[in-house]
This record gives sequence, C-alpha cells and structure tokens, in this order.
Amino acid sequence: MMDLFLSVLAALNEFSTTSSPIDFMLILRHGGLFLEGLINSFTLVALSFTLAALFALPMAVLKWGRVPVAMHAVSAFVYIFRGTPLLVQAYLIYYGLAQFDDLRDSIAWTVLKDPWWCVLIALTINSTAYQVEIYRGGLEAVPHGEIEATKAIGLGKLAALRHIIIPSALRRCFPMTGNEMIFLLHGSAIASTLTITDILGAGRQLNSEFYLAYEGFLAATLIYMTVIISLTKFLNFIEKGIMGHIQLTSPTPNVLP
Amino acid sequence: MKSLTDHANSPQMIARDIRKSFGEVEVLKGISLEAGQGDVISILGSSGSGKSTFLRCLNFLETPDSGHIEIVGQAIDILPGKSRVTLKNEAEMIRKIRTQTGFVFQNFNLWAHLTVLENVIWGPIHVLGLSRAEATERGAALLDRVGIHAKKDSFPAFLSGGQQQRVAIARALAMEPALLLFDEPTSALDPELVGEVLKVMRSLADEGRTMLIVTHEMAFARDVSSRLLFLHKGMIELEGTPEKVFQRGHSERFDQFVASIQH
Repeated sequence: MMDLFLSVLAALNEFSTTSSPIDFMLILRHGGLFLEGLINSFTLVALSFTLAALFALPMAVLKWGRVPVAMHAVSAFVYIFRGTPLLVQAYLIYYGLAQFDDLRDSIAWTVLKDPWWCVLIALTINSTAYQVEIYRGGLEAVPHGEIEATKAIGLGKLAALRHIIIPSALRRCFPMTGNEMIFLLHGSAIASTLTITDILGAGRQLNSEFYLAYEGFLAATLIYMTVIISLTKFLNFIEKGIMGHIQLTSPTPNVLP
Repeated sequence: MKSLTDHANSPQMIARDIRKSFGEVEVLKGISLEAGQGDVISILGSSGSGKSTFLRCLNFLETPDSGHIEIVGQAIDILPGKSRVTLKNEAEMIRKIRTQTGFVFQNFNLWAHLTVLENVIWGPIHVLGLSRAEATERGAALLDRVGIHAKKDSFPAFLSGGQQQRVAIARALAMEPALLLFDEPTSALDPELVGEVLKVMRSLADEGRTMLIVTHEMAFARDVSSRLLFLHKGMIELEGTPEKVFQRGHSERFDQFVASIQH
C-alpha cells in the first residue's frame, strides 16, 4: 500500500520536474512557506481593516455632522492619504522615518524599525482615509425624515446616532465596505516589497530561489483568488442577513422582453 | 398647591406671536394659539400658508425666529436676534418638550431597518428608560389599538401606507405625550387607505386626547374638531368652532379655499 503511494509520488515528481510546464510538486513541497504567507497576509489585513474601521467611523460622523474644526481636520487627513499611493506611504514610513536621528533614539523606534509594524501602520492609515468616505456616504444616505423622527421623539444626538443613524448608514454602505476589504487585501501585497513573507512574498521567494516565475506567482494568484472568493461568499451571507428590511419592487427581476 | 380642576383646565399648549422666516420669505407672521386639555384643533390653509411650519415650530423641528412656546408648563422664550448657539439647558428643555409632543409625519418616517414593534418601543426604552419588557407590553397594546398587531414583526417596507401611518401613530402614542401633532397625516396616502387612518384619529379624539391636526380632509376636520384654524399667508384668517368657521360669508379667502379643495 505504502509502496504504491510512494511510487505514485515519485512518478508525479518525475513528471512535474521534467515534462510538466508547471512544476506543481515544487509548490506543494513549499506548502509551509505559502501557509506562512497566508497567515501573515490575513493577520495584516484583518488587523488593519479593524483598526481603520474603529478610527474611520467617528471621523466620518464628525465630517457628516459638520462639527467645526474637526470636519476640516478629517477632510485634510482624507485628502493627504487618499492622494498618495499606498506604496509611497509605506516607503515613507519604513525608509523615510529611519532618516531622523531623534526618532531612532526614541522608544518608538522599537516598533518602527520592524517592517511588519510599518506595513500595518501604512495599511491602517490608508484604509482609514477610504473608509471615512465610505461611512460618510452611508450617513448622507440615511433619509432625512428618519433623522427628524429621532428628534421628534426626544432622542438625544448621541443616542440617535448609536441606535438609528449608524445602523442604517452601515447597512447602506455595506457593499462598499466589502469592496474596501478586498482592495485592502490587494494592497497588502506591498508587504512583500518590505521583506515580509506574505502571500506574494512567498511567491517571490520561490521565484528568486529557483528562477521559476510561473510557479511562485501562479501559486500566489490562486491563493489570493481563493481567499477573495471565500470572503465574497461570506460578505454575501452577511448582506442577506442585514438587508432583510428591504422590499424588492417586484417579485421577479425586470427583464427586457 | 394646584387642585385637580386647576390642572384639568390649564392649557396644554400656549404659542404666542410665533414668527419664522426662511431667508427673505416671512412664513409665519405672528401666530398665537392656545390648546386646552381635550381640544382637537384642525389647522387648514393653502400650501405656503405656514401651517406645517407652525406645527413644526411647536416641537422645535423648526426653530422660530421669535415668540413664546409653552407645552405642559415647559416654557421657552425665543427672543428676536438671539444667537444660534443654544444654551445647554435650553437643549434639554427642547428635548423635554419633544417627549411631551407626539409628532406624526406626512411621510410616516418609520425607521426602515427596525421591525414595526421595534419602531414603537425604541422611544420608550431609550428616551423614557422603560425596560424592554415594559416597553414591549405597552407597544403591543398600542399596536393592537391601531389594528396592526398581526404585523408587529414585519418591516415597514412590507406594509401599505395606511398601515405604516398607523404604526407611526402608535409610535407617537407610546411616549404617552400630552399633545399629539399631526402634519398632514393622510396627504401621502392612496384615497382608499385614508379612511383607516382617520378612523384611528377619530377614536383618539373621542378618548379626549389633545390634538393639533394640519389636514386637507375638510369633512373630517369639520366632524372631529372642537376648533378650526384657517391660516392664510402666515396669519390666522379665521378661528372658531367648525359651525362658525364654515358659515359662509365670514371670509372670502376661506370660501375660495373650500371651493378649490372640492373638485
């Protein structure tokens, strides 16, 4: 039994290294590398998205509520960090900050010298800027009448935001929020340019070690696709759950004859 | 120490000399009105006469430029030229006034992502501080009263206009307000659904509630009101009992208005 298995394995190896256009056994032998990459990517994206959401929602409320001074600060922040590519921001944090002697001597350096933290900070700040605009769009879309009803019933501003306005706004902008998660996953690929082994980093490593371009990057592509398809399915499931209050205008879709 | 009879006779609502402009246009030119316990006052007028604006001033959905508003003893004086920044305790007073005035909107304004029951109990829980169980009990009874109990777990989008408006009325009643304000409650409804809402409003009037109703439903206004108000271009043109107001010859403008409504 074991012999059969080993001989099949040997045959596959033989096929893979010589005649197959893609050396798939090489990829499988480096499964651990890709797993490390997957874990790194996942952690970076999940953490940065969550942190960004925690910052972005209050900022969006400040801008939507037209709170004096704060709304301008938020706008400036959004301008700056949507106005430059994520890669440039990451380089500025990782390479650029190292230039300042004072910074290198300070306690912040313990964090900032580590590329992982630099990438996390870059991803978080960048995603915050985009999420502010997404949530603000959701808030603007809440019907003004529903907001008036919260006033008429004597609900204070904070309570109205917490119980009525924000839940309504988040439901409205949910598809865009899902989009941002996926873009963040794409963007996290910059981590590989800063020496971190994420999904792409694993692919690059394979490439640089064996000079086989397709194997490494194809594997990375497949992993990204699998993660994104799973994420999309999960987001669709959530969307069905939270949008149950919407009535379709007709029971069947309007199809042109 | 006030006696019980004093309390019953003291006005629920006093509005004195309310003025409101939107930019250059003066919409309210000094409206004064008093409503006692159990009064049902219908406010009529053509569009632009300021009737909705006046109603919305009573619970500060619009801030009047000047005047005096008193709801169940809570009084606010708005002095002309006052700065826009409201003092902290004034915001609190406005909130208190709003809990005493139940407002029913022309477009219902139910919270779309909450069920019918949740719409009704949200105010009592988060404004009045009732427990969820108490609020649910109150809410269920009110939904039963307006005839919508069967739909309590549905979302507003799945209800007809008339049903939604009845839920909106239950939502206003759940706060146990001293005063009910109706801003053209049936104007956005299909004609065949108007009746079910008017029926609920009639039963509320029979119960002895204090109601101010801005409406175009002349027959209803005539039937149910203890007093009618006719506004024209921001001023009170006619005021009195339905019999008095509908007597021809009192005001040409009013006769024209009545004629234009009936087509």
